Amino acid sequence: MTITLGHYLILAVFLFTVGVIGALTRKSAIIVFLSIELMLNAANVVFMAMGRYFGQLDGAVFVLFILAVSAAEAAVGVAIVVAFIRRRGTTDIDAANLMKW
Amino acid sequence: MMAAVVFFAVAFLAFLGALALVFHRHPMVAGLGMALSTLSIGVLYVLLRVPFLGLFQAIIYAGAVMVIVLYIVMALGREETGPRVGSVQTGLTYVAAALLLLQFYWAIVRSGAGPFPEGSALAPVTSGGTSYPFGTIQAFGSLLVSHYSVPFEVASLLLVGAMVGAVILSRRSWS
Repeated sequence: MTITLGHYLILAVFLFTVGVIGALTRKSAIIVFLSIELMLNAANVVFMAMGRYFGQLDGAVFVLFILAVSAAEAAVGVAIVVAFIRRRGTTDIDAANLMKW
Repeated sequence: MMAAVVFFAVAFLAFLGALALVFHRHPMVAGLGMALSTLSIGVLYVLLRVPFLGLFQAIIYAGAVMVIVLYIVMALGREETGPRVGSVQTGLTYVAAALLLLQFYWAIVRSGAGPFPEGSALAPVTSGGTSYPFGTIQAFGSLLVSHYSVPFEVASLLLVGAMVGAVILSRRSWS
């Protein structure tokens, strides 16, 4: 059988949905952060498959930019988590309640 | 045939890694599951005829990002338990996830997304009188510094900003 664009899109949707579940139900800030990265990865798969489908390399360029953005996000996110552990001694996102009302 | 076998094996591994990330109780296994998932997605890029981006994926995601995250997990120890169960938010999340899956599945099946084109349908990139075929790093680089040169520079600004922000955030004193 041949692999079509639909196979890649279905895989990306499954990965994205698992990422949504992780970002909304996990308690640890690190796992929530990794779930958001998983959703970015799913979007990357869609960009690559669509670029291949239309025969253009623009999708691959967008994937490179998303890689750069997620590397920047990882640096800042890990710094925030380290600062949070230092102040509260945990990564539980329920402990981040300073700006709640 | 061979490509189909590789695709299904790699897709299964990517999905397995994602499930380990979200549902495993131990944060170290979750981080390693994420590494497995990103590496498998890199193999998918090779299947999609852009092999060097698969390498970038392995180096940047599975290398740099995962090392940072696993370092945090090791510094933290094993405090985390599994996903929340029984709260209203959890129930709503699963309902929303099921709706999301159904909606996208319906849209993809309805769209009739067909097989990938081969040969001359893959547009080459022309730069300086030379034409580079689809998926080569020459074509990619030409596109990046000609048509996408402004986003390229903005990305470097973003990386510098993120670096400064990370240093300021992780200072020990706030005075």
